[in-house]
Amino acid sequence: MSGNKILTEATVEHLENVAEDMYRIHLYEPHIAQTSHAGQFVNIQIPKEAAVFWRRPFSIHGTRPESGIFEILFNAVGRGTQVLKKVKNSAKLNLVGPLGNTFNHPDHLKEIIIVAGGLGIAPFKLMLQNLLNRQLKKTVFFGVSSKSNLCCLDEFHRLGAECRISTEDGSQGYRGFVTDDLQNYLRKLPDLSHRQLLVCGPTPMLRKVQEIAQTFQIDAQVSVENIMACGFGACMGCPVQLAHPLDDGKQFLLACKDGPVFNMDEILLDD
Amino acid sequence: MTDLSVKIGSLVLKNPVMVASGTFGYAEEFKDFFDLNQIGGIITKTVTLEPRPGNAPPRIAETASGMLNSIGLPNVGVEHFIIEKMPFLQPLSTKIIVNVAGKTGEDFVEAVARLEDVERIDAYELNYSCPNVKEGGLTFSAHAAIAEEVTRNVRKVTNRPLIAKLTPNVTSISEIGKAVENGGADAVSAINTLVGMAVDLGKKQPKLSTITGGLSGPAIKPVALAKVFELVQNLSIPVIAIGGIMNATDALEFLLTGAVAIQVGTANFINPRAPLDILEGIRDYFDKNRIDEISTFIGSIKT
Repeated sequence: MSGNKILTEATVEHLENVAEDMYRIHLYEPHIAQTSHAGQFVNIQIPKEAAVFWRRPFSIHGTRPESGIFEILFNAVGRGTQVLKKVKNSAKLNLVGPLGNTFNHPDHLKEIIIVAGGLGIAPFKLMLQNLLNRQLKKTVFFGVSSKSNLCCLDEFHRLGAECRISTEDGSQGYRGFVTDDLQNYLRKLPDLSHRQLLVCGPTPMLRKVQEIAQTFQIDAQVSVENIMACGFGACMGCPVQLAHPLDDGKQFLLACKDGPVFNMDEILLDD
Repeated sequence: MTDLSVKIGSLVLKNPVMVASGTFGYAEEFKDFFDLNQIGGIITKTVTLEPRPGNAPPRIAETASGMLNSIGLPNVGVEHFIIEKMPFLQPLSTKIIVNVAGKTGEDFVEAVARLEDVERIDAYELNYSCPNVKEGGLTFSAHAAIAEEVTRNVRKVTNRPLIAKLTPNVTSISEIGKAVENGGADAVSAINTLVGMAVDLGKKQPKLSTITGGLSGPAIKPVALAKVFELVQNLSIPVIAIGGIMNATDALEFLLTGAVAIQVGTANFINPRAPLDILEGIRDYFDKNRIDEISTFIGSIKT
């Protein structure tokens, strides 16, 4: 079980530039580090100079429970993240977390197949950590524009995963979309039972994986990204449309509270 | 320590800090953040007679010092509200005010009538002013005669205090305020959100699915202060202030202007402990300034 969500201050231990425009911050906050599971996120108040009104959600990228440290990974592309990348060691970041639900894996799995596009790689380090002692094959399909956008590969190897890289410009690994490489892989598998797709990335990629999961009839879970004001179900600003309304007439779930992880076949993916 | 209790008709709040409808869920969402019994009152997310799915995404947009929303009053409907949401609220030792909306005047009456059997509801807030629903919505608080009639009809089915929530999107908010006072409202709350719009230049489209939405947050505080002041000057019933209250200073400014109580809204999204921080800040201010009676402070603005 995950811990209660709390409003807290985390201390910046270390910031590193892990790829082009991509940064990782190691934060000291024992409750988050010790109770978070893969898929969950924290909603961080960006330092004042960014002049953004809402908090910003970040997947929990990895944890070191014994030292009270957890990590976030982000692309410094927006007004908030441009400021965040300049944060100094021992600065405090006000945050709410851990928020949201988690990926879950059925028993008797033979293989997890992670499919990540760009920053979509963020939640999967923690997943591999959580699954370190489970005897199953772990394959990571990681798609980026160019090899300068790759990160975390050594750590993924250390956590027992086999990584298959796709770059759109062909600078490393498969040239083209990660979803094409994924299809090639799935076609060659003798059977698809007891395998699970775990997916995070830009919406066009998610849509393609949704198609693939349906074609191959393979179980898939997706972590969606959504703008949100509160992160814990109060503002109701992050609806995700259900593919089929529920019995009580409900047409939407909330990305922050019911998600961010959903079964791929239960939701519609919008722009 | 100053006695912070305030009266709104027959409703006595232990302190003037409440939370605004639609920003606090049904309170359970906030139970991990602070002791809910500390604050004066909780106003629930809007309840309607029938369930509503809410609007299609995108429902929210961040703006300068605030946000736009077009949530569309998603809720489980009054029957499910009673079964699913009230059991959490009932044991709390703070006032529970249920916010009600309807497509028609009859909907308001029927929803309130249904809630009359439910214990531990201390008052109703009538949402006459949601700008984000196609039917009903603004019509109830944009037309004085309709606002008065609906209030009068609801008054007939309940003795519980009635608070009419007013929109600023009208020519004269005090005209509507007087109408609901005549209809039997015990108080008004103001302001609901201001109609606004945000545009995505890259996509060449509005940022909200409904094109326009309701603006809230610090951006609207000066408008709220002006409207609250106008209502206080013109009505005999108490005024509850809402609009961009982020901290104790903001709350004290509204009390000084004449509001008997305040509602913390959008701030709850940014700081889920805001209501408690604001209450503590008000206490500190009164202690520091040796104000023994909150009533001597309320409305004491020098003009």
